[in-house]
Amino acid sequence: MNNTVLQISHLKTYFFTRGGVVKAVDDISFGLRKGESLCLVGESGCGKSTVALSVLRLVDSPPGKIVGGEIRYHDEDLLRSSGKRLRQIRGNRIAMIFQDPQSSLNPVFTVGYQIAEQIKLHLGLRHKPAMERTLYLMKQVGIPSAEDRLKDYPHQFSGGMKQRVMIAAALSCEPEILIADEPTTALDTTVKAQILDILRDSKEERNMSILFITHDLGTVAGFADRIVVMYGGRLAEAGTTYDIYDRPKHPYTQGLISCLPRISNRKDRLTPIPGTIPSLIDPPEGCIFHPRCERRMPICSQERPPEVIISGEHIAACHLYS
Amino acid sequence: MSQISRKVGGLRNLIFIGILLVLVLIIFLDIYLIDQILDPFEYFYLFFAILLIFYVLYPLYTNRRLTKYYWDRTRKHRLSLFGLAFILLLVAVALFGPLFTDDPTKVNFDEKNRPPLGFSIQQSIYDVNSGQFVTTEYPGTWQHPLGTDDKGRDMLAMLISGARVSLQVGLLASMIAIFIGSILGVLSAYFGGWVDMALMRFTDIMMTFPFFLLLVFIIFIFGPSLVFIILVIGLTGWTGTARLVRSEALSLRTREFIMASKSLGASDTRIIFRHLIPNVMSSIIVIATLSVPGVILAEAALSFIGLGDPTVASWGLILNAGQRSLDTAWWVAVEPGFMLFLTVLAFNFLGDGIRDAFDPRSQL
Repeated sequence: MNNTVLQISHLKTYFFTRGGVVKAVDDISFGLRKGESLCLVGESGCGKSTVALSVLRLVDSPPGKIVGGEIRYHDEDLLRSSGKRLRQIRGNRIAMIFQDPQSSLNPVFTVGYQIAEQIKLHLGLRHKPAMERTLYLMKQVGIPSAEDRLKDYPHQFSGGMKQRVMIAAALSCEPEILIADEPTTALDTTVKAQILDILRDSKEERNMSILFITHDLGTVAGFADRIVVMYGGRLAEAGTTYDIYDRPKHPYTQGLISCLPRISNRKDRLTPIPGTIPSLIDPPEGCIFHPRCERRMPICSQERPPEVIISGEHIAACHLYS
Repeated sequence: MSQISRKVGGLRNLIFIGILLVLVLIIFLDIYLIDQILDPFEYFYLFFAILLIFYVLYPLYTNRRLTKYYWDRTRKHRLSLFGLAFILLLVAVALFGPLFTDDPTKVNFDEKNRPPLGFSIQQSIYDVNSGQFVTTEYPGTWQHPLGTDDKGRDMLAMLISGARVSLQVGLLASMIAIFIGSILGVLSAYFGGWVDMALMRFTDIMMTFPFFLLLVFIIFIFGPSLVFIILVIGLTGWTGTARLVRSEALSLRTREFIMASKSLGASDTRIIFRHLIPNVMSSIIVIATLSVPGVILAEAALSFIGLGDPTVASWGLILNAGQRSLDTAWWVAVEPGFMLFLTVLAFNFLGDGIRDAFDPRSQL
């Protein structure tokens, strides 16, 4: 497809630690289309955030290193871009918001100043128009009495308001892609819904693409167009939201879905996936999920499963379907 | 114009750089064309005055709310206010005092060993006419309110000149040390890896370096001069600051707002100067205030043991002269000692006050 704005192919990001090589992202590929929201779902430590950081080349190095693959933004391979070019892209074309709004803002500057900083830097506006634009953005993300709050410091904001400020800063240069790294995890449920609404509205208004990272399948059901499920640094299953929720093929996805509480389902207990995620320093042979899989076959512990096309865009990396 | 001003981060910085350039130009003029427009130290003073106006007074003036907040917090620390008042008084005296007092180097043997006002000593003088020792009362006079030393030099004038020296050394040397220490600390923390390794091992070496030996060596080569004392103390005394700033910056570096500004396209320089340094600034100010008394004492100690500049009347030098005549003229040693004591105490109190004011965790 030609309207793909970001194509990640065979990305490998490893962390070289004292204990050994952690394969945080091990050969993962997916594409992000224009105006689409793609959700990257997985347990803690499965490498979702590392994928996001790899896109902007923000992986701490050392110990992290992008070992292989390609991240194509339009026709440009971000893994080969110069530092200067990357700084032009970051914030301007691809923006990112982070999990913890409490610490994402610099405590010594006013929030207005911090948003305006990006605008001045990337759009080359002067102080006054930059402040006007900041005000406009703060109103747009629903900060009440934005004129007064422009001169407030981060500690005077609540968590949800800080996350709105972060979104305003990220949207300040009309980015093409917004990477949201668990933006709602640190917030309570009502605020979570509001933030998702703001993200959806801004996406629609700007025809922006969102790469949304979360560990919570429940959060994104109404938000995502497509979902990529990751497990142990690898792709487990990918497909449209409908595919993933209604016809999950990979045993891991099936497990995740059955973990979700449902109103329609009058069961007393949820079904957890047995076991815990494996160490990525010394992952199991073959399919990384096989020690916890209820439908494992002899081949699962020997060969890494291929990515099988189930139907259309629906892909599952499982030996059951090969 | 606006392009340049944006590059250096605002019009204020541009004007500041402009004034600095003018200052440098005057210095060159001084060196190559006209001799001695100003004393070398007066350039330092000018520089610090400009620095103070641009980056301390002006921001405090424009940001009234913050100024009031800090003032309220400092004010609750009663002793630190005394410290501040004393230091301001000392600065005023050091700046303008010499205009009103005698030349501190003027020797007058008729007036030697005069006690301070309100005291008097018994003095035995050999009377040529009667051929006998006559004991006379030798009281303090208004002409020399703090007495004179064994060469008849006015103590008040010498103490004022000593205040000048102490403040010069204290402020300049600690400023140099703090500047080097903060920059190295922040760089080391931000870049980490081998940069951190190299800078911190260098700091270790500097810590074990016998700066006393260096000073003796430099004095041997260039002769004793206040400038070298300031430079040596400044260039060797930054190690503690570097360590402290590094540790603060290390914890800041992993905070998400640094990652966030990186993800929004900020460059390394921008992150260091806009995000890291402002966040460690409060600690830097506190270290600076608390390091001044140490430096003042170091200079006094050097002068006391005779490694100081013999041409300027520093407190340490007077103290050294005074301890030889402690039995006949106690005030010569006691007065500079008392001044040192008060000054060091004042800076320590002020430092404590500022630390409490800047620490949001301490509830006053």
